[in-house]
Amino acid sequence: MTEVSIKVTDLTLRFPVYGVDAKSLKKNLARVTVGGRLSSSQTGATEVTALSHLNLNLRAGDRLGLIGHNGSGKTTLLRALSGAYEPDEGQIEVRGRIAALLDLSLGIDPSATGVDNIRLRGRIAGMSSKEIEDKMDEIAEFSGLGPFLAMPMKTYSAGMQARLAFAVATAVEADVLLMDEWISVGDADFQKLAHRRLLNLVERAGILVLSSHDAGLLRLYCNKVMRLEGGVASEVKDIRRLDELLAAA
Amino acid sequence: MESGQHMLRTGRRGTLFEFSMALRDLVTSYHRRGLAWSLAWHDVVSRYRGSILGPFWITISMGLMVLGIGLLYAKLFGISVAEFMPYVAMGIVFFGLMAGTINEGCDTFVQASSMLSQTSLPMFTFIWRTVLRNLINLAHHAVIIVGVILFFGLWRVMDVFPALGGLLLTIVNLAWISMLVAIASARFRDIPQFVMSVMQFAIFMTPVFWKPDAFPDRHAFLTLNPFYHMLTTIRAPLLGQEADGLSYVVLAIMAVLGWALTFSVFAITRRRIVHFL
Ligand SMILES: Nc1ncnc2c1ncn2[C@@H]1O[C@H](COP(=O)(O)OP(=O)(O)OP(=O)(O)O)[C@@H](O)[C@H]1O
Ligand SMILES: [Mg+2]
Repeated sequence: MTEVSIKVTDLTLRFPVYGVDAKSLKKNLARVTVGGRLSSSQTGATEVTALSHLNLNLRAGDRLGLIGHNGSGKTTLLRALSGAYEPDEGQIEVRGRIAALLDLSLGIDPSATGVDNIRLRGRIAGMSSKEIEDKMDEIAEFSGLGPFLAMPMKTYSAGMQARLAFAVATAVEADVLLMDEWISVGDADFQKLAHRRLLNLVERAGILVLSSHDAGLLRLYCNKVMRLEGGVASEVKDIRRLDELLAAA
Repeated sequence: MESGQHMLRTGRRGTLFEFSMALRDLVTSYHRRGLAWSLAWHDVVSRYRGSILGPFWITISMGLMVLGIGLLYAKLFGISVAEFMPYVAMGIVFFGLMAGTINEGCDTFVQASSMLSQTSLPMFTFIWRTVLRNLINLAHHAVIIVGVILFFGLWRVMDVFPALGGLLLTIVNLAWISMLVAIASARFRDIPQFVMSVMQFAIFMTPVFWKPDAFPDRHAFLTLNPFYHMLTTIRAPLLGQEADGLSYVVLAIMAVLGWALTFSVFAITRRRIVHFL
């Protein structure tokens, strides 16, 4: 078995923005606290540098919390770790099966039933049809949605959607779990269930990377923390030093 | 290198490297072909959810068009219905496959933008999704083809294998065209309108509703139209005629050159496609 790990070296990620007049942007390029750095590339196209020269090494058992202002690059980093973006510079290497819970509505068809959506999302997450059918009962039970699973997803509340998405995503035998914010959507019961499931995952020698603005949540789940600022990362610190990082703002 | 267990993304450049990454995308999409199939199937099911006849509604509307045009034009042009109706039926159904695969190709990446920007799914998966969805639709419309074949007794004269060969060549060509317009549409939002206009123009320029008898064999008006070759290689054998060998050759050459072009464009733009969206 390969060792679970995340290794990011000197990662720089820029978003070229098409169809924006670079000149009209220039006047507004003054330093702002929100967002990545805007710039014009040699070709004159507008670019947003969402991450710059980021290094990160995580091993089994690490639960990293990401903090930072809006637009500091947390979501971009999570997406890059899930393999969606090709780096402009540097390298991302992830060993282990990845489960990304970034967007609740990913692959969700609102007019399809909960069960159909479990199948669809499971397929997207890399499960085979057989695997999904084998796990269907477990997923259904964990979601706690009961008879609602036979109803179209559009009849669900945000929390119910979160339950379903979380249930499917964590049903994958994943080693690396990437989560953006939304875990706080569910109610107290669900939070408790989710908490147990997450701890379970980490006990199975996995890695968790969680982005959140909620210090309490970070303390609950993470043992390490990293701050992003305009795409530049701080050192990875122990969660006990969270206040220090927050104060550095 | 790419498996469920190991994900590597690098900022490395170089033409050769970009091509090998593009190839890897293709290979991964093959390993995960079940996903493309699930997505395509889901598209068809969800588009017609709550409808009793589902995709057969389009079959019915095509069927009506076949009946109407078949009877009317047969009268107008003074051709026998038995000769003209199967001709038009196959023309409409197979041109439907071409127009559908190409027009929907424009949406392939745009529609998949949320999946592309947060998963490492291969991009080819979404190309196959569009192609497979159109093949599933074709399977429904095939009822019309089977209908005319049985009704007009074509099963006695038809030659299935050359027709299947034509269909295969057609699909291979449609797939690259679909992919090329998918990439172009992601970057330039005028492309879908442009493609739609071209396909509307093509339906009248291609002998779908009319017979090319007025033209001498291999007239440039026909030989320069790729859709003519696609249609004729499928339709002629089913009507018990022989398609011009040239058409098969043209399609084969077009497939090779077209894929070479499309794959190169993909290799060059691959890392940016997700940013176009
Ligand atoms: N698809 C995109 N195209 C262009 N720029 C983008 C894109 N996605 C993100 N960005 C830019 O990248 C920077 C980082 O965004 P990101 O979404 O990673 O921030 P975040 O830290 O998750 O913020 P939040 O706390 O608001 O969720 C921002 O400046 C944003 O404008
Ligand atoms: Mg975010």
